[in-house]
Amino acid sequence: MSEGTVYVYGVVDAADAGAAPVRVVVEGGLAALVADVQAGSVQAAKAVREHWRVLDAAVENATVLPLRFGTVMADDEAVREELLRANAEHLAGLLEELRGRVQVTVKGTYVDDGLMRGIVAGSPAVKALRERLKGLPEDAGYFERVRLGELVAAEVDRHREADTAQALTALEPHAVASRTETASAPDAAFNIAFLVARADLGAFEEAVGALAGTLSGRIAVRGVGPLAPYSFADAELAAGAV
Amino acid sequence: MAAVAHSPRGYLDRPRPSGLADVLEIILDKGIVIDAYVRVSLVGIELLTIDARIVIASVDTYLRFAEAVNRLDLTEADDSEGLPELMESMTSGGAKSKTQGALEGVKEKLFGDDDGDDDNGKQRQRRSSSRGSSSRGSSSKASSSRSSSRSSSSSRSRAKPRSSGNSK
Repeated sequence: MSEGTVYVYGVVDAADAGAAPVRVVVEGGLAALVADVQAGSVQAAKAVREHWRVLDAAVENATVLPLRFGTVMADDEAVREELLRANAEHLAGLLEELRGRVQVTVKGTYVDDGLMRGIVAGSPAVKALRERLKGLPEDAGYFERVRLGELVAAEVDRHREADTAQALTALEPHAVASRTETASAPDAAFNIAFLVARADLGAFEEAVGALAGTLSGRIAVRGVGPLAPYSFADAELAAGAV
Repeated sequence: MAAVAHSPRGYLDRPRPSGLADVLEIILDKGIVIDAYVRVSLVGIELLTIDARIVIASVDTYLRFAEAVNRLDLTEADDSEGLPELMESMTSGGAKSKTQGALEGVKEKLFGDDDGDDDNGKQRQRRSSSRGSSSRGSSSKASSSRSSSRSSSSSRSRAKPRSSGNSK
């Protein structure tokens, strides 16, 4: 491993390179946002923050193609040849597709235990297993608890599906595309990434507000953005023959 | 959990990098992938990615759900315990139970080795405040596992074989 490796945050149009928040490597019509990193010296937390900060700053002024977190190349030459030149057409095409568009992630969170109460009331299996677990010491009931959790998780999934569908119906008319993401928190109702034209951000935000009003008391709705289009830049680039 | 700045209208937030759970959920496994052949791999980053995946999909999730329904006291209308509180305890760095091991492991990693801002102070606060809020199920264990976030790697490795062999 050489000493001066290069972290690559994303790719922008070369015309936007002037406003870049970090050093750029330019090749043809494309510019890569990069930073020098010492091989082996990376701290994960810092790397995550930097990745976020740089792309967050870049999306203010430009259309950005985010690269996957943790993309490091040997040196500037590798960025120029293996990334930008070898994939010039592909990258330019993706930039064109995403031009003037940003991501807004909309998350819903169940606000109280109404969901859990409904599940216990609605599922005899959950109710029975829950009764049986009462009074068992924590370790003795381990497998039953996992089983109970599984049953509840399946019920939660059914609710999530319905609530995700409702959110999509409300917000999709104001977006170019959407991706339903994994809802990783136990109380998450939905987690959806929307690709929104900058010009439509106002209308989209109003729609988020309307949805929040509709679901109020049951699900708390939060929109995060505008973001670089993380969920919509999912191409895999081959190591091109130059 | 994320500290957020409100936009003028108020419906869209911009998460700051201190909201790492938010940030991770948005950026991990996303974005353009370049061929491994031209990539240099860095150890810290690979580990973080693996850890975060463990948090997102694991037997932990089931145990948390079980805890959530078990805590419901259906006879009392004013019972306030439930998922919100569960989330609170999950994210508060509580030394409470093994279900928190993996999550804490990642948080520790994320907040622990940063020298920049006030995360260390915040974490200390979270940890001490969690001592007072032990739940009935595991209060007897609270003192013995006070340093559980440090031992998260061991609880993680314990949880794995169980999940694969015994989901019935």
